[in-house]
Order: sequence, then C-alpha cells, then structure tokens
Amino acid sequence: MKHVIIGAGAAGITAAKVIRENRKDDEIVIISTDDAVYSRCMLHKFIGGSRNVAELSFIPPNFFEENNIRWRSNKTVTGVNIKEKRIVFNCGKCGKQSNESYDRLLLATGSQSFFPPIEGLRPGPAVCTLRDLSDAKKIRMKADNAKNIVIIGAGLVGLDAAYGLVEMGKTPTIVEMGQHILSANLDPRAAMTYQAKFEEAGCRFIFGNRVKSIEFDDFGTSGTIVFESGDKLPTDLLIVAAGVSPAIGLLKSSGIPYNRGVIVNEYLATEAEYVYAAGDITGLSESWPSAISQGEIAALNMCGIKSVYDDILERQNTVNFFDIPSLSVGRLNPEPGDVVHIREDQQRYQKVITQNNISVGVTLQGDISRSGFWQYLIKHKIPINNAQESLWKTSFADSYELDANGEYKWAK
Amino acid sequence: MKRILIDAEKCMGCKNCSIACAHARRPSGSLYDIALSDPETESRNTILLDGKKQYKPLFCRHCARPSCANSCMSGAMVKDAKTGHVWYDRHKCAQCFMCVMNCPFGVLKPDRATGKYVVKCDFCKDRGSEPECVKNCPTKAIHVKEVD
Ligand SMILES: Cc1cc2nc3c(=O)[nH]c(=O)nc-3n(C[C@H](O)[C@H](O)[C@H](O)COP(=O)(O)OP(=O)(O)OC[C@H]3O[C@@H](n4cnc5c(N)ncnc54)[C@H](O)[C@@H]3O)c2cc1C
Repeated sequence: MKHVIIGAGAAGITAAKVIRENRKDDEIVIISTDDAVYSRCMLHKFIGGSRNVAELSFIPPNFFEENNIRWRSNKTVTGVNIKEKRIVFNCGKCGKQSNESYDRLLLATGSQSFFPPIEGLRPGPAVCTLRDLSDAKKIRMKADNAKNIVIIGAGLVGLDAAYGLVEMGKTPTIVEMGQHILSANLDPRAAMTYQAKFEEAGCRFIFGNRVKSIEFDDFGTSGTIVFESGDKLPTDLLIVAAGVSPAIGLLKSSGIPYNRGVIVNEYLATEAEYVYAAGDITGLSESWPSAISQGEIAALNMCGIKSVYDDILERQNTVNFFDIPSLSVGRLNPEPGDVVHIREDQQRYQKVITQNNISVGVTLQGDISRSGFWQYLIKHKIPINNAQESLWKTSFADSYELDANGEYKWAK
Repeated sequence: MKRILIDAEKCMGCKNCSIACAHARRPSGSLYDIALSDPETESRNTILLDGKKQYKPLFCRHCARPSCANSCMSGAMVKDAKTGHVWYDRHKCAQCFMCVMNCPFGVLKPDRATGKYVVKCDFCKDRGSEPECVKNCPTKAIHVKEVD
C-alpha cells in the first residue's frame, strides 16, 4: 500500500509517523512546498534571531530515515486526479511538472494567508505575510534596512511578527481595525497588558481606522497607506496579518467537494474514495493540537483502523510575550445571564465566566499554573463543585478517578 | 510501561512526596535546609483537596495518549515509544505553554523562578533509582508498577 501525504506540517508529519507505527512495510511519501520541517508557531523566534532553522524543527533530525519515509520537498501540488489516483506537482526549483500515484492520499496543506481586498494591496518586494519559513526569512531580511515597518492586523500572527521584530530591535506600527489587540484570543483587560508592553518596547498601535488604499512606488519598494480617515502612513515593509483560510487551491478541478475547507466525515475522509484530510485544510480548527490530533485519526483510517474524530472543538489558545503567559478557553467576554468571577493582583489576572454554574470561559494571565483542567471542564460542561469553599479552589480533585492502568479519568 | 500507581485512600496528605521531588532537583543541600518559599524549589507533584477535604494526589500519569505531547509544537514534550514515558526537554521548549492548557488534569505548570520551562515529572530517570516521591511515601499510597 502506498500512502501519499501532501504537506509536511503538524498534520502531515504526525500522520506519517502514525502510519509507520501501524504499517511497517507500507510505502510513505510526503510532498511539500516547505523545504524544511518547522513549527510555524515558532517563526517569530527565527525573525527575532533566537532560533535558527534547525531549532524550529519539531521532529528528530533523522525522522525520515528512521521511519523510512520518502520526503519530496520543494514541490507544490497543483492538482489531484481522483480517477487515476495520482497527484500532479511542480518542482519548486525547475518548475517541471511531475506526478505521483497513491493508494491512500492525505490532504494536509494547512492554511494560507488571506489578502484583504484593499485597493493597491498586492504581493511585491515590500509586502509580506507570515505563514511559511520563507515569509519569516523575507521579513528578517527586509526588516534589516526598513525604516517604516507596518503590520496590518493585531491578531496572534501579527503580534508574533511584531514580537520577532522587537527582538530584532525594530519598532513596527500595528494597524488594527478593531478596538484592541488579540481580540480573538483575550479579553480587553488581558490584551491591554501586552499592548502596554509592546508600546514600552517602542511599537505604535492604530485602532479603529480602516485602511482604504495603499499606493506603492514604481518599484514596489515603498509606499503610502491611506486610511479612511484620510490619515497617511509611509511604509517600506508591510506585513499583512489579516487572517488565514484553508489551503484548498489544489482541489479546484479535482471534484473533491469543499466549502471554506475540504469537507470531511467523522473518519476525516473526503467525499472522494481513498482521500483523507487533516489539519487547517479541513476548516474545523486552526490550531496546532487539532492538526496533530486530526493527523493521527486520519492516519489510522488510512491504515484501515476505523477511528472516529470526536474531539470537542472549543476556542482555545495560549499567548506568551515578554515572559507573561496567558491562556484562554471558550468565551472571552460574558453574554447576557453569565456570571463573571475575577481575581487579580499585580502578578495575575484570572477570569472565569459561568452560566448556570457551568464554566463557559476562562482567561488566565500571569499565573497559569496547573490550570489545564479548566479546558476539560468547559469542553465537557462539568458544573463547578460548590462543596469547595471558593470557585478558585476548583480542580480535578472533585472528579478524581483512576482506571485499572492507573491513568486518571474524570468521574461521571 | 512503568507507572506510579496511586492509592488515594492511603494518602494522609503529609506531602513527603512533594518535598522529596523538590529536593531531588536541588544541586546541593539536605532535606533539612530546604526552603519551600524558594522559587527554585519546586515539586512536580502535589496533593489536591476535594470538596470533602479528601486528599487526591496529583502526579503526572505519563498518559497513553498524552495531551501535553500532542499539543507541543516544539518537539520538547515527547512520548517515548520504548519506555512509554513522556519526556520533556527544556532546551527545545518554546515556552508556548500549550501543554499546561491541554493537560486535562492540571498537572503541568511553568516554573516559578524563570517562567521559561515546564515543571514535569521525569520519573527520576537520571537518578537511576525509584522515583524519589515513591521512596519517601510513608503509607505506600504511591508505588511503581509495570502496567499495559
Ligand atoms: C505565525 C504563526 C503562529 C502560530 N501560533 C500558533 C500557536 O501559538 N498555537 C497554535 O495552536 N497554533 C498556532 N498557529 C497555527 C498552527 O501553526 C497551525 O494550526 C498548524 O500549523 C496547522 O497544521 P497543518 O499541518 O494543518 O498545516 P501547516 O503546518 O500549515 O502545514 C502545511 C504544509 O503543507 C504544505 N503545502 C501547502 N500547500 C501545498 C501544496 N499545494 N503542495 C505541496 N505542499 C503544500 C506546506 O509547505 C506545509 O508543509 C500559528 C501559525 C502561524 C503562521
């Protein structure tokens, strides 16, 4: 049996590993545009200069040899032929077209950066996104001589870029349509902690002012951002971090159905026979842990081991800038009828939102020690135990059980 | 694999396990000069109290499907296919603390002194003996056993 995996990210690499664990003799091929295996979540450390390419890797150096996986890097898949069971790809260096047949195919191409429809905004020498290592390399190189670095979007990716730049000694301006940074990740109070730190480091934020157009010079090396208010901002390095969408371009004429992401069933199989999908491309989630989990489940199904993907997907993320850790799960801000519990002092800010005594959102900043149970409580809608003297004493203790192998499990 | 099995009924909350664990990481000194207020003195384990004031020992299980390793984006937290244990390499760690958020039992935490690594049970693997917590439990509420 020959397994072909498109993508060498979190989902693709995990799938290859799991297939090998279960099928000693099957053939495994990974094809990717990426010519290195690295964690996207660490790209800011490359920009900042604290890690080199090898240090961005999340697999052992001999991973491919040890697992007998053939990795065809620097190749971009342009089409999938589900009748002939083969994929078509371009070689990155020479542009030559080739193809590869499969018995089982995994789509794990992740996301691609989204370019907002702003007049005059198009790829060019002074325009970057932050998704791939090649983007991080371009930012690092251009930033060296850039005087007016502007980032559009104050989400996690935009601020990762900003953080890397700050570590390079740069002071970017961050433009955000909304009213505060990290609005999909933190509540305004927790977000403010980081905003203040970025400002202390010399960054500037512009909120609530929509970019109307961008005018570049003939070489595309510098330009002017024009806001709806009429304000103008010069730039010679523009980083667009306005969101991502599933990387489904290769499916255009394949007949494999997709909406925003490729459509999968509970086995992570697409509607085309023998074709599976995992990670950001499914549009089910946009997070590293979900990509790992989906890669594992899809791989098991590719090996004929029926496995249902039943993770409960709940918004969740961690943030760590300037050595201040934060995490949030579920709701960031209360809805009508919710109860908000807050505990704060100079070192920490902690907020739990409950609804009928069930936690629906938690935000912790400064002190996140031993707090993993919150995610479980929220996902499984487990009520807060009122026998504890305060909500802040909540822990796994009130649902404590052990199974025959000595693993913990949550009491029903 | 070898796991530290827990018999919570036998736990009397003395916290010898926690002191032994914290002490095991100190470069020098004896159990009698340990300062629990020292941020560098940290135990991987702890004992929780439930709503009925019963002791519930909280020890890393080195889970069969470890949520910590599955949420790790740097390769620092890895399930060892041979021993079954989940090892953590602080030099690889990128301090994202996804593992802290994803451990469903709330075992993990960033270290107190620097906030730059995760405090995680290593089964005292470099000490060449039984885990210190187990050696120091006076009631045998924890013991090492080979499990599936
Ligand atoms: C800057 C940044 C910071 C992030 N921080 C976090 C974080 O802190 N926490 C978190 O949970 N998530 C974070 N994420 C998101 C996380 O990285 C993704 O959810 C995760 O990488 C998805 O894994 P994946 O395997 O689906 O796709 P990816 O990791 O994106 O991998 C896709 C792979 O497919 C290849 N590919 C794409 N198209 C083709 C093609 N046509 N032909 C061949 N190969 C192709 C790519 O080269 C790549 O190898 C971050 C992302 C970015 C960009």
